[in-house]
Amino acid sequence: MKFNNETRKVTIKAFRFNAETDYLPYIKQYELEVGKDDLVLDLMNRIKWEHDGSFSYRRSCRHGICGACGIKVNGKPVLACKQNAIELLDMFDNDITLEPQSKKRVIKDMIIDKKDFWEKHAKVKPYVVANVESHPTKETKQSIEAFDALLNSDLCIQCGNCHYACPSLEANPDFLGPAALNAAYRFSIDTRDNASEERLKLTSKPNIGVWDCVKCFECAQACPKDINPIEKITKLHNMQFEYGIAERNIATKHAEGFVRSMKKHGFLDEADIVVYSEGYLGMYKHLKTAYKMMKAGKIHFTDGLPFVDNVPKSKNLSEIQKLIKISQTNKL
Amino acid sequence: MSNNTNVRIYEYDAVIVGAGLAGLAAAKELTEAGKRTAVITKLHPLRSHSGAAQGGINAALGAEDSTELHEFDTVKGSDYLADQDAVELMCTKAPETIRWAEHMGAAFSRDAEGNIAIRPFGGQSKPRACYAKDRTGLAVLQAIYEQAFRAGIEVFDEWYVADLLYKNDKVYGVSAYNIRNSEPAIFNAKVVMFATGGHARAFRFNSNAHANTGDSLSIVARHGLPLEDMEFVQFHPSGLGGSGVLISEAARGEGGRLFNALGERFMTKYAPNAMELASRDVVSRAIMQEVREGRGVGKDKQSVNIDLTHLDPQIILTRLPELRELAIAFQGQDMLKEPIHISATAHYSMGGIPTTINCEVRKNPIQTVEGFYAAGECSCVSVHGANRLGANSVLEALLFGRHAGENMVKKLNEGIKLKKATKEDANQMLEEIRRIKTSNGNERVSALRAELQAGMTEKAGVFRTKISLEEQLSHINALLQRFKNIRIDDKSNTFNTDLQEAIELGHMLEFSKFIVYGALIREESRGAHFREDFPKRNDEKFLKHTYAYMDNEFNITHEWGDVVITKFEPKERSY
Repeated sequence: MKFNNETRKVTIKAFRFNAETDYLPYIKQYELEVGKDDLVLDLMNRIKWEHDGSFSYRRSCRHGICGACGIKVNGKPVLACKQNAIELLDMFDNDITLEPQSKKRVIKDMIIDKKDFWEKHAKVKPYVVANVESHPTKETKQSIEAFDALLNSDLCIQCGNCHYACPSLEANPDFLGPAALNAAYRFSIDTRDNASEERLKLTSKPNIGVWDCVKCFECAQACPKDINPIEKITKLHNMQFEYGIAERNIATKHAEGFVRSMKKHGFLDEADIVVYSEGYLGMYKHLKTAYKMMKAGKIHFTDGLPFVDNVPKSKNLSEIQKLIKISQTNKL
Repeated sequence: MSNNTNVRIYEYDAVIVGAGLAGLAAAKELTEAGKRTAVITKLHPLRSHSGAAQGGINAALGAEDSTELHEFDTVKGSDYLADQDAVELMCTKAPETIRWAEHMGAAFSRDAEGNIAIRPFGGQSKPRACYAKDRTGLAVLQAIYEQAFRAGIEVFDEWYVADLLYKNDKVYGVSAYNIRNSEPAIFNAKVVMFATGGHARAFRFNSNAHANTGDSLSIVARHGLPLEDMEFVQFHPSGLGGSGVLISEAARGEGGRLFNALGERFMTKYAPNAMELASRDVVSRAIMQEVREGRGVGKDKQSVNIDLTHLDPQIILTRLPELRELAIAFQGQDMLKEPIHISATAHYSMGGIPTTINCEVRKNPIQTVEGFYAAGECSCVSVHGANRLGANSVLEALLFGRHAGENMVKKLNEGIKLKKATKEDANQMLEEIRRIKTSNGNERVSALRAELQAGMTEKAGVFRTKISLEEQLSHINALLQRFKNIRIDDKSNTFNTDLQEAIELGHMLEFSKFIVYGALIREESRGAHFREDFPKRNDEKFLKHTYAYMDNEFNITHEWGDVVITKFEPKERSY
């Protein structure tokens, strides 16, 4: 490896596959000189323009606003035109592989079929539902606070980075995913919109909506615009309670169980939350997990039995209870 | 692939090429009027470059502002080459157009009363640029796309339009292929609209997206139709020093100051009244003059500093967050703490496909082509003349795009007939693809393109002379010859972006010739076009629109068209 002030000579690996001609994908290596201001897109351009013209990827604006060039580097979602290359090389010890966002959806090299992404997007009514006046003489008034309440959700550039980083989506193809849920929030919170109830109903459905988010924060990490989709998902949770749309089911009872436990003990009662959200019969599904948790000391064998309260109390319980009282905006 | 038996023929009332603001606004009007409409784009609509517009969209909404003032500023900014009837239409309809965008859901920033917020911009006598933080284009593009999507527009995304169907003064469709699998098709229509955006990719140092290769210009020119005022290319004063990526005029609008290497606020010399907020051409020349005289900063001393550190950090954080991020990402400079290196970057094309005020494409200065419309940056209705004012482009695209849509609806309601296309109409496209795929020479597309771009920036850029332009013209001629001797690596039919880049280079070479040719014959300096050997404006000879035509051997000829002057007689222009 040669280092100097301006450039660094490295070998970049790239995932290659053409659905038309290749039976299996393969990795190809390219020798490149990387400068300190080079972006990942510059490297991809150089591979295409100087090494192999058949290397294919989507790109357009080259400054992080069109959302075309989302890829992964060593599994990390990046927007190629905004990601400094040296930073990544340092992070991964000069060993980086350019990969598509989702290997199972690859058409060619970095280019994937985003059909599922756009279908999910379309499901949440991604537009302001209102009568658009053709020749308005006045704008709709909107306060600065109302504008700020968008929380930059309107900055989403549909790059798909969060969508293809979401493990819940990977496990459950029916889940709307962080990008579509961010869109659901963006329009539902807009004071000009009239379909928030409809969107909240959709996003409260088990298997599809917000309750399938496992709160892993991958989407927040993946977003090149720092939109923080999980924040919007949390907001949707709250709005569902505010609008009285949240139905009484395992998911909402699970959320409720948390508060109940905190109020009671100042600690989380792991066993109680299962009993509360799934009932005694439902609890038996989890016996295997319970056994493991017992071995790890997370629960006690008497936990979950009715009328036995063996959870220790926080010494700050009264303070915690006060905090809950002050901060709770929704009636669960 | 030159066999046309598998060419599918789609029939529509209207076909729109390009899905940025102009294309989507037209598509929405047509679809809502019940017309069968196809929108074709080589990207996805939301990837269109309209979304990259940062600073604002003009409308005289301020209490002290008026549409007449907006008109005057626009005409003055254009160095009196704009057609004043079109300017009047634009400025009069601007307030309703912005409010229409707002009603559609565009997330505009707000003032304390809850109205759309406005900020000052270069060349404007009043604060007039309505904005959505520093992502105005994105906000408006999203809104129009969302409502067009809601209206049920039909989009063919990632399709490449390669040719226009044009016979006997009538346009009746386009030929195109699906980028995903190279499947060719004819889109046969009663009316066709081009809304393909800009072409500043022809320059090495530019602010444009990779997609902005101006394909539609040479597609039109190949049929002997004219291009208008192509010599007028706007160089934006604040491209990031290394990449040319844009730092919006909002940076100056919010109070940014320009300094040279000696720490002098040099705009005092060039525009003592308007200072940093003079018109873009004026500021760009000032910057490049400082650089030429050795007072530049940064790498090779090719830039100057823009300083925002005296501003309240809250202004930067709330109104210019994207700009700050860009400067950090591209050159590691944080505008909260230090000045940013900027330089003039090829940004916008005032010229393009000539149209009437109703967006009908012109065959020459007096006649139009039946069934053919254009709007947005690829067109030249001429509201920008020789130099566009900041925040007028987003307005033009949205407003004239919609206007084109309305006029197409009208034309369809009048009962314009469909001229049936045949599979043979795809032959020119199929032959072009076959030629490029089978060409087995030793020239690389990327190398030829880099040569073209370097020459355009150096010889047909901010400063031009007869000698530099003649050199560039013969360089382009040589490149056109060498282009016949290319070889591409990718012969597949799946997402063949190698092929696409080659086709696009062909277009870039051809329309670039129009830019250089126009600059050569216009022996004056006006707006963005500056001839060092003719530094004065010459109204007597050149208060005219250039109409240039290309023959099959890429030879160019021209004639002049009249400028529409109504309210504002040409005066000397100073800021």
